[in-house]
Amino acid sequence: MKWIGHVKRVYGGFTRAGAQGAMAYKFNFLGFFVGESLYCFVMYFIWKAVFEASGESIFMGFTITDMTLYVFLANIVGFLTNTDSTQMLAEEIREGNIIMRMIKPVNVDMSLLATEIGDKVVMSAFIFLPVMIGVEIYRYFALGYVAFNILMFLGFVVSVILSYILAFYLNLIFGYLAFWLMNIWGFSILKGSIIKFFSGSLIPLAFFPDIVGKIFEQLPFASMVYTPVMIYMGKLQGMDLLLAFGKQIIWIIVFIAIAKLIWRWAEKRLAVQGG
Amino acid sequence: MMRFFRLYKTFVVQQLKQLMEYRVDFLTGATSFLVGQITNIVFISIIFSQIPHLQGFDYYEIIFIYGFSLVPKGIDHLFTDNLWKVAWFIVRKGNFDKYLTRPINPLLHVIMETLQFDALGELLTGIVLMIIASIKLGINYRFGNVALMLLAFAFGTVIYAAIKIAGAALALWIKSSGSILQVFYMSSDFAKYPVTIYNSAVRNIITYIVPFAFTAYYPASYILRGNDPWFCFGVGTAIAAVLLTLAILLWNRGLRAYESAGS
Repeated sequence: MKWIGHVKRVYGGFTRAGAQGAMAYKFNFLGFFVGESLYCFVMYFIWKAVFEASGESIFMGFTITDMTLYVFLANIVGFLTNTDSTQMLAEEIREGNIIMRMIKPVNVDMSLLATEIGDKVVMSAFIFLPVMIGVEIYRYFALGYVAFNILMFLGFVVSVILSYILAFYLNLIFGYLAFWLMNIWGFSILKGSIIKFFSGSLIPLAFFPDIVGKIFEQLPFASMVYTPVMIYMGKLQGMDLLLAFGKQIIWIIVFIAIAKLIWRWAEKRLAVQGG
Repeated sequence: MMRFFRLYKTFVVQQLKQLMEYRVDFLTGATSFLVGQITNIVFISIIFSQIPHLQGFDYYEIIFIYGFSLVPKGIDHLFTDNLWKVAWFIVRKGNFDKYLTRPINPLLHVIMETLQFDALGELLTGIVLMIIASIKLGINYRFGNVALMLLAFAFGTVIYAAIKIAGAALALWIKSSGSILQVFYMSSDFAKYPVTIYNSAVRNIITYIVPFAFTAYYPASYILRGNDPWFCFGVGTAIAAVLLTLAILLWNRGLRAYESAGS
């Protein structure tokens, strides 16, 4: 078990730095949070109008309470699993600072991940918990009983952690694109739209035409938002639940492998600009 | 004034050279914004596959309002994108000083420095959506409503630009205001849909405080429904003028308070 101490000693520093960074940039933090909340309210009002227009209490298998829950949960999961690694990495590659990570006796992905985890711990404490409590209070008043289920919640937490690791490696691979491209920012926007669409952030995947929805559910993006949200809402049970976890893990392995391959390639050929 | 246009031309020529150099990047950027819009259209289409009307507006009317909202947003994006960089990192990294050392108005300098061609993705989507919707709805374009529409594009663009100028101005005090600006900018999402779907608090905010409702819904509702033109265009113009004035005042105060972050 010596390696645990080693990991803690080597990467703990990155994590603390990440947490301090998150505290220092309180404005950014708050800004994104308010921005995301606004977006949730836009979606909430749209769905409310849709339910009123349809004149029925169940729209494609979702009640208005389900839908409200879905909108807020999907966005909080999107928010928690969103990582800055693309930008961080792209900037380091462009400015040549990436060499500082290469000459240290640490893994590039692990050091980035450790920095981010610090940031995520702070974020979870200040944003995730209050939103969660708000969502549960809303659900209590909408349904008239406590629908909170501790097992589903634990399943959700495990699934969100898997989502985060998956998102992290996907972003890392996008960040590596900076080895070839300058306009990583444009690519990030593209990546953002694709994730939002295929992950179920914008529209629950269940709303797509049958076959399309089934296909989308197999893609890695679904594992990033749709899966944890459906677990929280109790719509995945038993075998489906295990299958969902399995899919998340398989995609993580695939993405780690791709990231490692690109990195090995880059290490051999990298010519740093500037010094 | 002549000097301004001469300088602007020089900057634009530089930008075009850059565009030719980084063609792939331009295509990436423009495609990104295009794809973002397409996903939203799919969203609207899926909703309308289940319901015939949303607050009394049918599919193509919603598409018209949505397309309308992209035009001023795209024009602003094309011309004033550099303000984002001021808000995010130009001040923080100490690179703002250069604008103060040049013999030209710093705000104009910041704006003329960048022409963001990525915006064409948004702008063209908006125009195409409006054309498709206009044909499907059989909108009758006359000199009068075309002129009013152009006026609306102009004051809509001014509203976006004013909010970005004010947001970027904050960076002159607090060094990095990107996320604050983002919050205000993101509230433009509300403007893509009929404001009648919101409750009165949200409606008042996006009409009078962050007046994005004037960048799309109000002018579009005149074209579609003949809603009160004095309100849709008169109040819109007035609000845009007031907002721009306030933004420039804030920017100028910021310049006086500015201390360099450089070393």
